[in-house]
Amino acid sequence: MPAPADRDVALIAALPSLTALLRHRAVAQPDDRAYVALSDRGGEERTITFGELERRAATLAARIAKRAEPGARALLLFPMGIDFLIAFFACLYAGIIAVPVMVPRRQSTRDASRSILADCEPRLALTTSELLSGIRGDLVRRLDHAGLEWLAVDDAANAALRADPATHEARRDDIAFLQYTSGSTSAPKGVMVSHGNLLANLEMIRIACGNTRASTYVSWVPLYHDMGLILNALQALYVGALCVLIPPLAFLQRPWLWLRAISDYRAEVAGGPNFAFDLCVDRQRPEQLAGIDLSCWKLAFVGAEPVLARTVERFTATFRAYGFAPRTMWPGYGMAEGTLLISGGRRGQGPVVRSVSRTGLLRHQAVPHGDLGDAQPVVGCGRALMGEEIAIVDPESRVRLADARVGEIWVSGPNVALGYWRNPEATEATFAARIAGEDKRVWLRTGDLGFLDESGELFITGRIKDVIIIRGANHYPQDIEDTVQQSHPALRRHGGAAFTVADDEKGEQLVIVQEVERTERHRIEPEPLIRQIREAIVTEHDIVPQEIALLRPGALPKTTSGKIQRALARQLWLSDGLDRL
Amino acid sequence: MPPARVTEADIRDWCIAYLQRTVDNPSIAIGPEANFAELGLDSATSAYFIVELEEWLGTELRPELVFEYPTISALAHFIANGEGGIPDAGSG
Repeated sequence: MPAPADRDVALIAALPSLTALLRHRAVAQPDDRAYVALSDRGGEERTITFGELERRAATLAARIAKRAEPGARALLLFPMGIDFLIAFFACLYAGIIAVPVMVPRRQSTRDASRSILADCEPRLALTTSELLSGIRGDLVRRLDHAGLEWLAVDDAANAALRADPATHEARRDDIAFLQYTSGSTSAPKGVMVSHGNLLANLEMIRIACGNTRASTYVSWVPLYHDMGLILNALQALYVGALCVLIPPLAFLQRPWLWLRAISDYRAEVAGGPNFAFDLCVDRQRPEQLAGIDLSCWKLAFVGAEPVLARTVERFTATFRAYGFAPRTMWPGYGMAEGTLLISGGRRGQGPVVRSVSRTGLLRHQAVPHGDLGDAQPVVGCGRALMGEEIAIVDPESRVRLADARVGEIWVSGPNVALGYWRNPEATEATFAARIAGEDKRVWLRTGDLGFLDESGELFITGRIKDVIIIRGANHYPQDIEDTVQQSHPALRRHGGAAFTVADDEKGEQLVIVQEVERTERHRIEPEPLIRQIREAIVTEHDIVPQEIALLRPGALPKTTSGKIQRALARQLWLSDGLDRL
Repeated sequence: MPPARVTEADIRDWCIAYLQRTVDNPSIAIGPEANFAELGLDSATSAYFIVELEEWLGTELRPELVFEYPTISALAHFIANGEGGIPDAGSG
C-alpha cells in the first residue's frame, strides 16, 4: 500500500484545475497553515489555513460572480499578502480571469497599468479597503476605465456574506490568469496561462525541486511577479507546504529578515533574482544575523535575471558560517511564456559553473578557453524539466544546432502558455515556431540565447529580444528612451538609445546615449541636463542609469527607415566610437 | 554615534556624507538641494538609506519619506521639525 505522501502526489498530478487543487488541500489538511504574512519588522501579522483560504475564496467568488460573467477579467492590485491569494483563488472559483498587476508607484506618471487596462478590458478591480479608501485614493482616478467596478475584498460585506459559493468548474484549457510581463509600456502583452499550464508547471517544479509537504517556503518576491506567485506561493500550496510572505520593501531594507525567517520557520526553499543574494551579502550585519541557522535551507533558487558565478560564490562563502550548504544554490531559467520555469537543477546537486572562451562565445561557440584572460565563467541553469524539450536553434535559418553551439533557446512542453491575449500576430511569431526540416511540432521562441552541453545543462549567454532586465524586472528600451526625450525639449525625439553592458561583478549596467537638437547644442549646460535625465528615469522606471552621455545630432546609427539601431549603438559605445557632445 | 541632540544641520551633514560614500559616481555633485532621484536613489537604494538614517537617529522612519521630501534639506527639515519634533538620539 502506498504511503499517504505518495497517494497525495498521485492525486494532485491528476487534478483538473487549480480550484480542484485548493479544494483538495482544504479537505486533506484543513487546519494546516497555508500562508503566514510577516510585518515590515518581521513579526507574524496574519495567518490563514488551507480550510479558511478555501472558504474565504469561495465566499468572495460569490460576490464576484454577481458582478461579472465567467471569462471576464479582474485586475488584482494588492500589497504583498494573504488578500492577494484569497482574491486570486476567488477569481478562479468564479471563472474570472485574474490579471495581477503591480500597484503603480505614486511618484511615477506613466506606467504599464493604463495600457494593460486598455488591452484586457477588465470588468473588476480587486484590492484592499486600505488601498481603495485611504492611502492610495489616487488609484481609482489613475485607473479610470469605462465599466470598471472596484471591489475591496476585505470589507465587511465579504465577512458577513454566507451566500452559495460560486462553483464554476474550470477545465484544463481555460485561462486561469493573464501575466503581463512582456511588451513595452505602450504595447503590453498578456500571457494567457491556462489551468493545465499551471498544473503542468507546478508538477515539473515539484519534481525538479523534490518538494514535499515539509518544504516550507519563505518568500519576499511580489505576488504580481510570476516567480513570486508560481514558484513560491502556488508551488507551496501545490505540495501542501507553508509559505511565509515578507513585504518586498522590508526585504530591500533589511535583507536579514528573509534569512532570519528562513531560520525561524526552518524553511527548506527560498529564492529570488540574482540581485537578492548580492543584497544579502552587501548589507549583512553580524549583529542581525546572530544565532541564525541556515542548515534547514535545502534549495535556494536563483533566476529571473542572469545568474552570476560571482554572486553564487560570494553568497555561499559568506553564509557558510551560518550553516548554508554550498549545494543549496539552484539556478533556474524561465519566463511567463513558459508559465514560469523552463529549466532547473536537481535538489542537492549544486550549481554547474563552467569556464568557456570569451572569444569563442563571440563566434557563437562554447569552447574551452585559452589563457585565463579569455576565460568567461558561465552558470548552468539546469536541464529541461519532466515532459519538456529544449532546443537550440539558429534564429535566422531555424536549423537546430548541435551541443556547444550558441543559438536561440526554443521550448516545447505542456507548460508553454496558450499565447498572448488578443494578439494573434505576436502569438504566431512567438508560440508557433517550427524547426527547419523537422516534424510539425510547434515551439516557443524565448528570444534568449544560450547553449546546451553534452549532459543537457542549459547555459544562457545573451538575448535577441530588446529587453533590459534589472533586479528581475523587465524594462523595454523604447519606454526608457521615451522618458529621456520627454524630460527636456533640447533632447531629440527618436535620437536616443538605452542598452545594457555586462559587468561580471555588478550584473547588467544601464547606459543611455542621447542626441541633442542641433539648434540647442550650444545653449545647453550638459551637467544639469544629465541630472534631469537621471531623475526622470529613476522616477518613472525605478532604475538607475550608470552612464548617461549626450551626443551630437546624427551621432547614432539609424536604419534607412529612421529607427535607432540599438545593438550597433551599443557596439559603438563599447569601442568609444560615438560622437559625444 | 549621533550627537546627543540632533539638529537639522546634523541630519543634513549625515545625509551628505552617507550619499557621498554610497552614490560612488564622481560626476554627481551632492549638495543639500540635490534631489534624491537625481542622485540615482531608486526604491531599493533609498529604502536602505532610510534604514541607515533611522539607525543613526535611533528612531523609526517611513521609507516613503524619500519621495515625500525629495531633497536632503527638505528631508532633514521634516525630520528635525516634523511629527514628534527632533528625535531623541540618546536612546538608540
